[in-house]
Amino acid sequence: MDFVGKRGWFYLFSLAVILPGVVFLIITPGVNPGIDFTGGSTLTLEFEANVNQTDLRQRLTSLGHPDATVQKLGDRTYFIRTKQLTDDSKVNLVDALESNLSPDGLTELSFDLVSPVVASETVVNALYAVLAAAVGIFIYIWWAFRNVPSPFRYGAAAIVALVHDSIIVIGIFSILGAVLDMEVGTMFLIAILTVIGYSVNDTIVVFDRIRENVTIHPNRQLSEVVNLSISETIGRSLNTSITLMVTLLALFLFGGTTIREFLLVLLIGVVAGTYSSIAIASQVLISWEYGDIGRVFRRARQPRSATA
Amino acid sequence: MGRYGRTVLVIAVVVIAAGLILGFQTISVSNFQRGSDNTLLGLSLGLDLQGGSHLVYQAALTDPVTGAPIEVTQDQMDALKLNIERRVNSSGLGEPIIQILGTDRLLVQMPGLDDPERAKRIIGETARLEFKRRTFNVSRDIDEITAADIVGATVDFLPVLSDTSTDELATSSEEAVQPEEETPLALMIEFTEQGVDKFTPVFLRLAQSYFVYQQDYIERLQDDPAASPFGGRIPNTLDISIDGNEKQRFTASYPTVQRLDTTTYAFAVPAEEDTQAQPTLEVARRRVGNNPVFLFTEIIGTQDEDIGLTGDNLARAFPGQHAQSGIPIVNLEFDSEGTRIFGELTLDIVRKQETEGIRDQIAIFLDDDELVSPTVQTAITAGTAIIQGRDFTVERVRDLSLQLEAGRLPIPIELIQERDVDAILGADSLARSVVAGIVGLALVLLFMTMYYRLPGLVAATALVIYAMLVMAVFKILPVTLTLSGVAAVILSIGMAVDANILIFERMKDELRAGRTLLSSINIGFDRAWPAIRDGNISTLITCGILFWFADQLGASIVQGFAVTLAIGVVVSMFTAITVSRTLLRFVGTTRLTRSMRIWLPSGGSEVPQQFVPDTAD
Repeated sequence: MDFVGKRGWFYLFSLAVILPGVVFLIITPGVNPGIDFTGGSTLTLEFEANVNQTDLRQRLTSLGHPDATVQKLGDRTYFIRTKQLTDDSKVNLVDALESNLSPDGLTELSFDLVSPVVASETVVNALYAVLAAAVGIFIYIWWAFRNVPSPFRYGAAAIVALVHDSIIVIGIFSILGAVLDMEVGTMFLIAILTVIGYSVNDTIVVFDRIRENVTIHPNRQLSEVVNLSISETIGRSLNTSITLMVTLLALFLFGGTTIREFLLVLLIGVVAGTYSSIAIASQVLISWEYGDIGRVFRRARQPRSATA
Repeated sequence: MGRYGRTVLVIAVVVIAAGLILGFQTISVSNFQRGSDNTLLGLSLGLDLQGGSHLVYQAALTDPVTGAPIEVTQDQMDALKLNIERRVNSSGLGEPIIQILGTDRLLVQMPGLDDPERAKRIIGETARLEFKRRTFNVSRDIDEITAADIVGATVDFLPVLSDTSTDELATSSEEAVQPEEETPLALMIEFTEQGVDKFTPVFLRLAQSYFVYQQDYIERLQDDPAASPFGGRIPNTLDISIDGNEKQRFTASYPTVQRLDTTTYAFAVPAEEDTQAQPTLEVARRRVGNNPVFLFTEIIGTQDEDIGLTGDNLARAFPGQHAQSGIPIVNLEFDSEGTRIFGELTLDIVRKQETEGIRDQIAIFLDDDELVSPTVQTAITAGTAIIQGRDFTVERVRDLSLQLEAGRLPIPIELIQERDVDAILGADSLARSVVAGIVGLALVLLFMTMYYRLPGLVAATALVIYAMLVMAVFKILPVTLTLSGVAAVILSIGMAVDANILIFERMKDELRAGRTLLSSINIGFDRAWPAIRDGNISTLITCGILFWFADQLGASIVQGFAVTLAIGVVVSMFTAITVSRTLLRFVGTTRLTRSMRIWLPSGGSEVPQQFVPDTAD
């Protein structure tokens, strides 16, 4: 199968996935920060009736607080964190909970404004840490591929794939935020780190095969070698990502609701990571080798030649 | 069969050890305590996965003079939050959740239900840490007691006071003042009313300082049975000069000064300097004569002088070891103002030591409780100091550091609510996720076994072993597992699965190329190794950088992820390479090699071997 020849389509497809997300990132305030980052209100409620935690959480979701965290403080007492509530909206919320869950009444033990759990600087700091880690990965791959021509291209291509995957996930969450009001908390941050780890590992597997084949077939064109390497590793790539996705899907469908956002990031990330190893990281090597960017600019003047 | 037998044995031992570690909820071998009775497999779990303490504190800032409450500012609350955050993080209890409630309250949720008292201790409630200059034997100006203040003075045997109530004392005072030959000699001075008003406060300070001294000595004795009575505080003394028939001067202290009645005080007559014996009544009386003039000087034994150095000036206090001797010490770091004050103080103390030979100390108080009062060895102007003590143990310096840290709280706080709280992610929700996760993993194992046949079964076994090992390591270290840790575990499981799949795919290629089974296994591993190595090393590099940056920048959530992932990756490399490989080779030497079919993945139509049923994928 000729993967290399379809790289234009691959790029186009990625662009089609990335662009809407990026557009949403720009036109909306980006992703919706969750209450971890913004703070909000806390309520301590003691119900007269025996209220089930799952029911309470579901009720809060249906009352427009899908992001609320519910912690049990006692038999019938719950500590609830929500978005910031005005006095009116608090009264409405408490009344709704009372009539739905505890008709005999409930006691409001406390109602407070609350500061963020995680300072917003943490996100910026995490970003710096990721940037530094990317530099580390780049240098390591450059070194690990020192025996093939242009080793730094491998490092750079792996970083391109990593950025590609992160942007896809962040973009999709920006859309979900605008459309479904989905918010991102600290879990999102961790999930992104996980996706980055997966992306790099997956890219390295494909690159490793290219490294091996370049050494075995020194006289072949890079495009041939990359095609061969992708064909040889695609079975493994699919198997790995399928097994991971099976686990994540099982958790997503049958697990608790409180970690759905987290699992969704991982699911998207695994798909993106597998795709990008084949369709982005490897193709960037080819595009670099054959000067695609320059050719795109020249295309206006002369018709496109056959694939490299 | 024997060739890989030894490695199999080692693996078996490791697995059994891991099984035992996980099997017992708690592990306790002398000082080594791990596990918990309340958690899954006794793992230590973070607040998001397991409950903990829910503590609400109220800022209690009051005016030091009037005692009226003062409103706290946003900045003070932020500082308080940061401070407690740092303290809890360094305690190893796991990440807390700390939020400012309203304007003046702080919500602290801490993981772990085992020891709520410890949680409270770490946060601390006390606030006022003060450094004071401790000077010994300072003369204090008292209202001069003149001849007009004294009615008269007699020397006699000390009257025996009855132990009964004061009423009786008053009625029997006639008898009580009868001298008794057995009692020690005393100089009894009767003051005028005005004189008593001047002298009584001096006497009370003598007595009080003596009791404080005793209390201090008892406490030091409790810490160290060999403590010297002269190591800490010194009680006040009274310097008495008598100009009578002879000039005399002696020092009195409690209890050698006693109050006989409302106007009369008795001062024990000192022993003769040469014989150390009590002088005779006649000698003592003659010396004092009929018209003695007294001069009293009160000497404050231990004076703690406020120097304006408080917990606000302390940047950090942490336990450590002396660089040369290795004995436990407490490290102190001051802020710039603290550095200046502390520098001037120590310079002055050292100067005084050189000129007057008097060693002042620096006494450190937490809410008026004396923590420690070290002497000063050299002038310290760099803002960092260490405290060392003969009786310092690792435990003592740790507690002391914690107490000093507690004193750094920018404002005092009061615990107003304390409850147990369940997991942030909800116990109900988590229980479902655990089940789903196990189902998901079981599906992976099933998939691998069905697709890769016997090698898949081996890999599935290796994965189960991997999961056991990783959890045993978490429990032993211990690592507090949070959702970010679980994410890291999922990623490392993914990488462990990936490593196995890589190996099998390579093995399959070699088998197709017509190699023997064992050489296919070996070459498969060798070929797959660079990819596994580079993937894992780049992940480890990522972990290292994330950890370091997160540490510098204070993103503890990222740090937790990095640590767990690094452990997961290392254990995953071990199981993928050692366990899977050895098990596979081991199986490769058994009779199972006779059926080629079970070694090959299903669905591989291009495989030249026997018929392969078209089952999964």
